[in-house]
Amino acid sequence: MLKLHNLYKVYRTDEVETVALNGVNLEIEQGDFVAIMGPSGCGKSTLLNIVGMLDNPSEGDYFFFDENVAPYNESGRAAIRKQNIGFIFQSFNLIDELTVAENIELALLYHNMPSAERKQRVANVMDRMGIAHRASHMPGQLSGGQQQRVAVARAVVGDQPLILADEPTGNLDSVHGQEVMELLRSLNKEGTTIVMVTHSPSHADYAHRTVNLFDGHIVTENTRAA
Amino acid sequence: MFLNNVKIALRNLRKNKLFALVNILGLALGLTIYVFGGLLVKYERTHDMFFENSANIYTIGSIAAPDLNVGVDKFNATFTTVGPIIEAELQDVELVARSVISEYLLSVEDKSFYEGIRFADAAFTEIFDFDYIHGDSTALQDPSGLLLTESSAIKYFGRTDVMGETITFDNEFDFHVTAVVKDLPLNSHLASSVVMDNGFTFVVPINGLNRMREWDLAGNWNNLSIGNMTYVLLPETLGEDWLNAQVDGIYERLVPDDQKQVIADLTVAPMQRANLAIWDMIGMPVIAVVSLLSFLVLLVACVNYTNLATAQSLGRSREVGMRKTMGASQRQLLAQFLIESLVIASIAMIVAIAALEMIIPLFNNMASKSLNLNYLATMPWLVITTLMVGLLAGMYPAWLITRASPIDALRDMARKGKKGARMRSIMIGAQFAISAFMLAIVSIVYMQNEKVKESSYEFPRSEIYTMDRLFVEGIQDRLDTLKHELEALPNVSSVAYSSQVPFEQNNSQRSVSLEPGDEAGQVNLHTMEMSPDFLRTYDIPLLAGRGLDKNISQDVWKEDAESVNVVINELTVENLQFNTPEAAINQRFYRLDDDGNSTEYIVVGVVPTQNIVGLFNEVKPWMFTYDPESLRIGSIRITGGNIMSTVEQIEAAWKRVVPEYPIQGQFLDAVFDDVYNILKYMNMALAGFAFIALALASVGLFGLAAFMAAQRTKEIGMRKVLGASTTQIARLLVWQFSTPVLWALAVALPAAYFASSQFLNFFAERLESPVLILVVAGALAVTLAWSTVAGHAIRIARSNPILALRYE
Repeated sequence: MLKLHNLYKVYRTDEVETVALNGVNLEIEQGDFVAIMGPSGCGKSTLLNIVGMLDNPSEGDYFFFDENVAPYNESGRAAIRKQNIGFIFQSFNLIDELTVAENIELALLYHNMPSAERKQRVANVMDRMGIAHRASHMPGQLSGGQQQRVAVARAVVGDQPLILADEPTGNLDSVHGQEVMELLRSLNKEGTTIVMVTHSPSHADYAHRTVNLFDGHIVTENTRAA
Repeated sequence: MFLNNVKIALRNLRKNKLFALVNILGLALGLTIYVFGGLLVKYERTHDMFFENSANIYTIGSIAAPDLNVGVDKFNATFTTVGPIIEAELQDVELVARSVISEYLLSVEDKSFYEGIRFADAAFTEIFDFDYIHGDSTALQDPSGLLLTESSAIKYFGRTDVMGETITFDNEFDFHVTAVVKDLPLNSHLASSVVMDNGFTFVVPINGLNRMREWDLAGNWNNLSIGNMTYVLLPETLGEDWLNAQVDGIYERLVPDDQKQVIADLTVAPMQRANLAIWDMIGMPVIAVVSLLSFLVLLVACVNYTNLATAQSLGRSREVGMRKTMGASQRQLLAQFLIESLVIASIAMIVAIAALEMIIPLFNNMASKSLNLNYLATMPWLVITTLMVGLLAGMYPAWLITRASPIDALRDMARKGKKGARMRSIMIGAQFAISAFMLAIVSIVYMQNEKVKESSYEFPRSEIYTMDRLFVEGIQDRLDTLKHELEALPNVSSVAYSSQVPFEQNNSQRSVSLEPGDEAGQVNLHTMEMSPDFLRTYDIPLLAGRGLDKNISQDVWKEDAESVNVVINELTVENLQFNTPEAAINQRFYRLDDDGNSTEYIVVGVVPTQNIVGLFNEVKPWMFTYDPESLRIGSIRITGGNIMSTVEQIEAAWKRVVPEYPIQGQFLDAVFDDVYNILKYMNMALAGFAFIALALASVGLFGLAAFMAAQRTKEIGMRKVLGASTTQIARLLVWQFSTPVLWALAVALPAAYFASSQFLNFFAERLESPVLILVVAGALAVTLAWSTVAGHAIRIARSNPILALRYE
């Protein structure tokens, strides 16, 4: 599905040059569930941002379905991104002014989809996530776990084949964290590819593969039986 | 998508109620002022359009000669003889008509009222097409005919079918109705005038004046009164420039040389501008100023909105990041934010229109105008204004917030960026400069107008009750009886008669010289006739000599007396080079006259220099004489007692002595107010503008303070953790604003100084220290700015540091 080849990301300021990714090679197949682990500052989030096409690599190639997207500008990336990738963030990033249903619908808003179809899809996904009774609540009225469910719903409502999760359980207690992981696992079973950054080894165990990053390099890859 | 955006906009408003309120009210205020200003300017610029010949009618005006010394430079009136000259000289002109306004007592049976009558040449009704209910445009061809309006007919007769009915003027002269016309709309210079609130009521053939007071039908070169209009109707092929050239020629060839010392030129103006002539006259571009100020207020409001919206929208950077992550393009997001600002602008416009619906009737009532929010006609303008305001004011915040990359936006980078700081400083500086400029200007204008008012108290304004219209034969021979009756009243201390009272804008002048016939040594003196009690009635002290006495024969002016005693003021002493008041006593000077008449004047008394004409005029050299035949107004000094009951007693005394004429009484205060009203309204309007601009600027500063504080929350938290005190932090925040504010002042104050000196030039007695006032105004503005910011800064600085840190 995607292939990173000799990928570099360098942040430059006037005085310092920081190498966040230092020649990363990574291939992810459709249907994979990959956990990315590593200490703070090792480049996990940078990698996820590039995979999510929120950012460009400084050097190297990024093939997404055989298309090299590395040189694309923001609007080019945006076009691919909105069709293919759903995001889940540690801090949920729900919009406080919108209801649960509207937050989820937001993911479809930029897809040229008729309103009726959007509403239908949102209703379906809310049923699936068990948050239908919260449809007209504002995010502020929900618990952290429920908010993350909404965020997951938002990530999957567009049926994007790839979901990127940046420490999705980081702001949750262990019970809610567990719930979200189960949710991701079931999504993966239904065929969605998932790439997840996490600090928690137990949550990483949900993945098929764990990639360990250190100082911008991939140091180890463990694969476990599904 | 559009509805979705509108919905989000409305929710955002609801969520941030304070910001929303401030935003909407701020914009609404700006829009109210702007739309009102626009309507007023439009109203003033579209007077008299309903006359069929409107575009081809011109008025003849005069430019005052430099040494005329009457306080104005330009009249839209001219001498009554100019009309006939134009008619005789210019064959291509279609019609010429003069109109002269004069007040008469009109009676029908037992109903009597003083009315300002418009005496006009017969062509007047050909030039202006009135809407006739009875009769037609031949109404003025009958020398004793009379055209009146519907409402005047009802006032006197209770009905409108009054053709042929008789109206008596000054209890003596009969005129009969030859036409009844519909009332004129208020937006005609004939119906509304700042100078004389006559309205358009009666038109009488100019022959009537000839019949009643031997007025010379050929006109004269003696009297240049505001209101003596000369209208010229041109064929469509000729225009203002042509007429101007012709009139200049007439000035060169036909205006007598001695008149060229009174008027420097004849001018031509389109009749459609006649209602604005008052402003040309006093040399103030009031309409342009109203346009400019209302635009500036709107601009301040927009900048204000931009500042607040920028501050607020950065709090939504996460939303932008999320939307971008999900594929929204910058264009889509720009559209979203612009729709939001359009929603706010639209709400503000609706609020503004609601406000105008309340303000306009009040204003119309107060100012006798007929402004209206004709929605059909103004809708495109209102819509465009709303769109422009929404787009222009919303553009910058929308652009700023949506241009960040999705990652930066998600991380709230925009909040931290130095980017845009300069732009915000410039905006706050510009906004503050406009406000400080307006505050400074308004302070100057206000103080100057107050000074005018202050100096008017040199006369006992509130203790003097004046009686006008004594210049009628039936009253003249009863003046002494009236005086006795009035002085017998318990609270009346004295009664005097004169040819004018203070604050009346009369400028009778006489040329005199120290040697008979010495034209080179000519000095112009303002003259006033007064009865001997005038000085006592007005508490005017004598610096030397004595007042006039009716028992001394030479004190009383007579038609062909060779020598007459006069009282002069100190400025006359100076102008005639008599050195001191004492030295002036018994000095002589002589009248300069074309007819070789050189009456000798002997000084018997000297009074201090006072500003009799007042207002914006400079003090003038005066000569006071006692001519019992030229007294037209009385002054009654009331001391103590109940004012109202004294006025009732005065009215009763008048009724006993002059039963056939109603009293025309008012306090000197009212005489002053009549002329001061223009300045007073100017004061009120300007104060309103300044207050609004300043309020908006404060709101803007508040918004910016909130914004900058939010931007620096973490820094503030860290400083507090490290031990900074509340004061230190507040100072830090306040100081951040000082740079743009001080820059703004550096621009605004010199500009205000320049603009205000234009205004002050207009007054003879000027404020002594405009610079001081400017500095005070500037200081006031800065204080206001600082306290606005400080209030917010202290609140932020006091908050728990952990809250500030956790925010990140």
